[in-house]
Amino acid sequence: MQKYQDKIYKFFKKNKRMPSFREISRITGLKSTNAVSKLVDRLAAQGVIQKDAAGKLIPKNLWGATKILGTVAAGFPSPAEEELVDTISLDEFLIAKKEATYMLKVSGDSMIDAGIHPGDMVLAERNRTPKEGDIVIAEVDNEWTMKYLRKQNGRLVLEPANKKYKTIVPDAELNIAAVVIAVIRKYH
Amino acid sequence: MNDQPLSIHSFPRAILHIDGDAFFAACEQSRDPSLKGKPVITGKERGIAASLSYEAKALGVKRGMRLSEIKKICPGAILLPSDYETYSLLSQRFYAIVRRYTPDIEEYGIDECFADITGLRRPLRMSYPQIAEKIQTDLYENLGFTFSVGLGPNKTIAKIGSKWKKPSGFTAIPGYLIHEFLKHKPTEDIWGIGPQTSAYLKKVGVHTALEFARKSEEWVKSKFTKPIYETWQELNGKFIFPLDTIGRTTYTSVQKVKTFTPPSNNRDFIFSQLSKNVENACIKLRRYNLAATQGTFFLKLQTFRYVGLELKFSRPTAIPSEIIKVIEAHFDEVYDSQCLYRATGIVLFNLEEHTVNQLDLFNYALKAMEMKKLYASVDKINERYGKHTVFLGTSFLAHDHPQHEKERGDQPERKQHLLKGENKRQRIGIPMFMGTVN
Repeated sequence: MQKYQDKIYKFFKKNKRMPSFREISRITGLKSTNAVSKLVDRLAAQGVIQKDAAGKLIPKNLWGATKILGTVAAGFPSPAEEELVDTISLDEFLIAKKEATYMLKVSGDSMIDAGIHPGDMVLAERNRTPKEGDIVIAEVDNEWTMKYLRKQNGRLVLEPANKKYKTIVPDAELNIAAVVIAVIRKYH
Repeated sequence: MNDQPLSIHSFPRAILHIDGDAFFAACEQSRDPSLKGKPVITGKERGIAASLSYEAKALGVKRGMRLSEIKKICPGAILLPSDYETYSLLSQRFYAIVRRYTPDIEEYGIDECFADITGLRRPLRMSYPQIAEKIQTDLYENLGFTFSVGLGPNKTIAKIGSKWKKPSGFTAIPGYLIHEFLKHKPTEDIWGIGPQTSAYLKKVGVHTALEFARKSEEWVKSKFTKPIYETWQELNGKFIFPLDTIGRTTYTSVQKVKTFTPPSNNRDFIFSQLSKNVENACIKLRRYNLAATQGTFFLKLQTFRYVGLELKFSRPTAIPSEIIKVIEAHFDEVYDSQCLYRATGIVLFNLEEHTVNQLDLFNYALKAMEMKKLYASVDKINERYGKHTVFLGTSFLAHDHPQHEKERGDQPERKQHLLKGENKRQRIGIPMFMGTVN
């Protein structure tokens, strides 16, 4: 059927008019007028072509424009894989470097004004180069601390987001283990 | 003679052996800075030292030492229960990082792997030692603890390299330098040469690995079996042992053993411990779509002696209730109420693919098919809600009691920091930083 439709379409493109029954017989190779007539009726029923009042053929949907997704011919296509190819999971959204990402559970309230509460879960990347303004996980006095990384008088300091706490000015080398990339709070 | 190289080549094949430095202890130290620089020992739940930090090694603690002994020689030691979940997560990351460079990896153990980097110099625009050191740096930056790396023309030599300098060492042994590294190495330090072989070698006057490597091919072939001959070839710089890059896809036997404290002579309790082990073994069988036709169950006495019995099943099975029924019939042949027991175990072997196809006179096959379906549902429930959500009544007492008394029963810290939505059995598969975060 599609084969015949394609041939009629080709004729239409070339001649800028629809073929007669005899011409359909020639291009499709169907020998009898009866067979051609049946083909025309079938194509008409499918809405591919139309007959005018005089019985001559008019193109209707010869281009097969509704055919987009696979073999789905009409109606809304099912939510096919093609549409979902470019979606990402929540994991992929949150984690860029799988092997370097760690989580930790916040226990203090020193970052409360940055919207990080005790009990929150934080994702942090180990091998990211920390920049000024990042929230970092650093090692201070044998404990982890999470603070803003800032520069004061040319040296790196750790600044809390809570007025109750003081900025930490490390006396020796500042050991930053990871950079915070996301905060997760689950309510239910 | 001693300075003559064993091989004239450098790296006809370039094989890396990458070995974690005190892996379990390092996993712990890297996630909790309060453990850094301290003698950390894992294996508390087993009652012995499973892994030691370098600080603990320096104080004279040895692997396998009893905890009570450790406390005597090293009162400041920090003893931790093993957190295999975290160690496994980090181990997978370790393999994944090495795989960024080459797909040819043999996962040789939780903390070590072999990697074939032959032919990667041009695509990576680096020499073999540079590639090795780049992998080493990547591992440290991503995981936060160190690995030692050996580079050699084969697995045996690569393994000598990774042990040469530890921790965080890198040793490249090209073929033409192998003899330098074997000079003072006792034969038993060579991968694949066990105490029996090295004892025999000593009897025939061979003490160092170099002396062994310099023996003639005929001599080695006439005195030893193929694996030792192959090791001899590798010591001479040839590449013989291929990398097993596929890994384990199936099992020939499945074993589940669990110790409990305090030791007990309570028949019901011991039986339920065994029942739980059988359930665990069957879970593993079903995961690999296997069924066993034979098994051995055993009890470990407080005196560390084992008593056990071998069983045959009427047909291949991965259904715990069927196996437990067989065990129950013979349990009292092994169990003695006058004795104290400290562990139970089951080994299932003679494994085959789990299919129910042989029909029989008494409709057992039909019942087996139903049981298989039932257990498919049990596995689904347990996958959704956590292992052992559904378990057999015969295992109840084992589930109802903590496995260990007192400090040996301590849970890993990760299991005490559950997030909303996690439970005792199911946690997010991302390693967690530990200690307080202020």
